[in-house]
Amino acid sequence: MASLDPRVNRLPAITEFVSPKAPLDQFGTYEVFVQPKEGKAFQHEGIVHAPNLEMAYVLAKEAFTRRFTCSSLYVVDTREVFTSPMTEGEKNSYDFIEDGFEEEGTKVSFEIYHLAKRGKQHVHVGSVTASSPREAMVLAKAKFNTGKVVYNVWAIQSDKIRFTSEEEKELWLTLPEKKFRDASDYKGGDKLKEFLEKVK
Amino acid sequence: MSEIALKELLYKMADDQLILGHRNSEWTGMGPLLEEDIAFSSMAQDKVGQSLALYTLLNQLGESDPDTIAFTRNANQFHNCVLVELPNQEYDFSLIRHFLFDTAEALRFEMLTHSSYAPLAQLATKIRGELRYHTLHANTWIKQLGSATPESIGRLQKSLDYAMPYALGIFEVSPYEDDLIKSGIFEGEEKLKAQWVTKVEAIIAQTSLHLPDWKLVQPLSGGRQGNHSEHLQPLLDEMSEVFKIDPTAEW
Repeated sequence: MASLDPRVNRLPAITEFVSPKAPLDQFGTYEVFVQPKEGKAFQHEGIVHAPNLEMAYVLAKEAFTRRFTCSSLYVVDTREVFTSPMTEGEKNSYDFIEDGFEEEGTKVSFEIYHLAKRGKQHVHVGSVTASSPREAMVLAKAKFNTGKVVYNVWAIQSDKIRFTSEEEKELWLTLPEKKFRDASDYKGGDKLKEFLEKVK
Repeated sequence: MSEIALKELLYKMADDQLILGHRNSEWTGMGPLLEEDIAFSSMAQDKVGQSLALYTLLNQLGESDPDTIAFTRNANQFHNCVLVELPNQEYDFSLIRHFLFDTAEALRFEMLTHSSYAPLAQLATKIRGELRYHTLHANTWIKQLGSATPESIGRLQKSLDYAMPYALGIFEVSPYEDDLIKSGIFEGEEKLKAQWVTKVEAIIAQTSLHLPDWKLVQPLSGGRQGNHSEHLQPLLDEMSEVFKIDPTAEW
């Protein structure tokens, strides 16, 4: 019987023979980006665990867009996200990206994201066409660096992303009506006050 | 337009949504993984919301208010198909039911976007996004687990075989079928079932699962006439327990 103590159950099993390492017992992670309103930039909302990209899309929809407003969503495998050095204070992350790169073959599109405030989310700023993530960072620096401090830059190859199609945008059609999902909609305070008045 | 035919249609649809919504909500807090728990609970909430919209249409046609209809009838007054009232068992069964039922539900509402009864056509148009998500969710899971491991395939196959006769019970024809078709309210269960079979076959073909020979499956019907399994009344008792403590309470 397995122990009631989870720490014991997490110990590797005692094996007598040479055996392969046990596979991970968790799904991999996928990054979730949400567009709160048509015309607004996509922003990073968080991650979901999923067995593959399509399942990640399906699970992200309710995990991250069941409240407030949303007009579109996309997901990408965490391993497809390339990041620049993280900075703080007055240091601009772009200053740590050295110019120059070697072209490596076919050019593809990369989406670029900025972290403008520590503790906030990465926000989409545009795209570049490059042959590697490293080249994408250098091109992003030329295109999007205004000198204003950016603490971190992300580059993601566009064709690795599971986007929302035009027809799928109707997924959020009734979301604005689902105010009952917001805690504030219960008006708990008002109801309590009303009740206390009544019993006085 | 025959009002009694229309009401019968609205009742069976509303009862399907309410009972399955309640059943699926029983997974809240117990889903196989956090993200799925949230997704399944959200869809259950959608279904209860859709039942409210349909009960509201009935109310506008002179029936009682939605809470009274939902919480004070006995099992033999419900018109849902038996499939939706069956207990959850393991998650594989809930997923198979979700797939079989929601495929039919989405096609039914899609048909109803052209209904001659305008309020129903408007509702069907309004909730199409919710239904798109429900079927996307169901199809993705079935394709994933239906071709993953021997265990997942075996479990889904067993649940599929068990659920199929009940699933065919979704399409039990109404005594007013001709009336509904003639008046352009609804194109009919036979046509819906044919579309459903095509859709189910298309998804299952992308997995390692097998469908039974349609000719050999005996549909388990009766739900539309109020003949239910022993599982519906306990569900209703539990669902209306709090309501019945104080039916006039405001929530």
